[in-house]
Amino acid sequence: MPIFEKSSEKAVTRAIVSQFAKDMERYADMDVIVIGGGPSGLMAAHDLAEKGVKVLVVERNNYLGGGFWIGGFLMNTITIRAPAHKILDELGIRYKQFEKGLYITPGPLACSKLIAAACESGVEILNMASFDDIVLREKNRVAGAVINWSPVATLPRQISCVDPVALESKLVIDATGHDASVVRKLGERGLIKIPGFGAMWVEKSEDAVVEHSGFCHPGLIVTGMAVSTTFGLPRMGPTFGSMLLSGRRGADVAYKHLKAKK
Amino acid sequence: MVAFEVAPSLSRVGARKDGERLASEIAAARVKDPTKRKQLEEPLYGEVDYELRLLDGDARAGGVVYDGRMLAEVLMRMIGEAGLGVAHVVLTDRLVSTFSQEDLRHHLRTVVLGFPSIVSIPGIVEAPAKPRSYYVKKQAMEMMGASQLEMERLKEQFRGSFVDYGDPAMIEVLKGLLLQAVMFHLTLRPFCGNRTCRLFNAHWQEELLASQVAPDGVCSTHRSQLRMLSKKPFLRW
Repeated sequence: MPIFEKSSEKAVTRAIVSQFAKDMERYADMDVIVIGGGPSGLMAAHDLAEKGVKVLVVERNNYLGGGFWIGGFLMNTITIRAPAHKILDELGIRYKQFEKGLYITPGPLACSKLIAAACESGVEILNMASFDDIVLREKNRVAGAVINWSPVATLPRQISCVDPVALESKLVIDATGHDASVVRKLGERGLIKIPGFGAMWVEKSEDAVVEHSGFCHPGLIVTGMAVSTTFGLPRMGPTFGSMLLSGRRGADVAYKHLKAKK
Repeated sequence: MVAFEVAPSLSRVGARKDGERLASEIAAARVKDPTKRKQLEEPLYGEVDYELRLLDGDARAGGVVYDGRMLAEVLMRMIGEAGLGVAHVVLTDRLVSTFSQEDLRHHLRTVVLGFPSIVSIPGIVEAPAKPRSYYVKKQAMEMMGASQLEMERLKEQFRGSFVDYGDPAMIEVLKGLLLQAVMFHLTLRPFCGNRTCRLFNAHWQEELLASQVAPDGVCSTHRSQLRMLSKKPFLRW
């Protein structure tokens, strides 16, 4: 007797296509679209979804988590400084105290738990899809994202004319890391001047990234390393605590905005 | 005897009615390029939003340097001419700088004297230079890729030679800086060349501690001047 129930290739294909089509229909109109599924993007998405906000994360890779899988020098121990360890407590991520105020956790555990927490809270995920452009509305307010399948970017030039699709949302969060891809699209249109990495107070750059997480343009919020690029804060190494707190701050700003608009 | 009146923080005064304008003016005072005397770029939407959140108490200051002269101008407009009869001293948790004509770049300051004067609390830690040997070691550690935590440990080796956050010496330093601000208001001559006088303008942390934490207080010249001022405040050029 076979282990699995009987099915067919066509049934499998129909199951995938029909569900995906329904999902895409939903994605076309979201409350918040988060571009980038690294720690700050996932954290922001998780917190918003927990509050009942419709959130979609667009990730260009097939995997989520960005650089959160590994720590420095390709070693997969993640260090988190207080008070960000409280988020580990919330998400049920096991960790050890290395010394006062400094905690360590295995990267694969922390990252997979964060992804799971985001998915469990109701965050929708569209992976292997790349951000292509922004949707602009009145007074150049950001009102959505234009996306395409990630492999399209690798197609030969003569067959690269594969049109993208546009998704609408009340807010967009740029969590694309140092690239700040969404903010750069505003820069290309002359709507924002990106100062690049700047002459700020280097020792307190982590604090600055967290505190500057928020609106950088009407309809657009920045979190994570994209904050450094957008506001000209010093370039930082992988400091995951600040990425988590930055995501949380971005979600808080977004939620207050959505609530005020209701 | 100098009487002090503690005013509420900026976020709670009447100026909040025009919060966006105020936030925009403060954001415009950010030092983005320390080699430029004036920062001419319009503040970003997000910078104004951040300042608004700061005024609302919904964010903490940190990581940004503000042009002390531009901040003083903003504050001066809020105080108005009528306020010049009182020595206004604004204590801030922001870092402030002024542009130096000597090396043509902005430098962090503990105090920016004016009307009003601005005392930067983090500036007490960050503005005066730490011992040279500290920077030599720090640079070597940075080249070796040391973490921020290891940098904190390095500070332990130099404990006592500079003021750090949470240091009780900060209160004494603050008293001296407030005295400098009041002296500026009364005489326009706030500083003293005597290294053990609280009116000494310290550029190094060791000088700051020597002048502010020393038991002497003010020098004999300034002691008698302060005595006179307590009887009849006067301006002297």
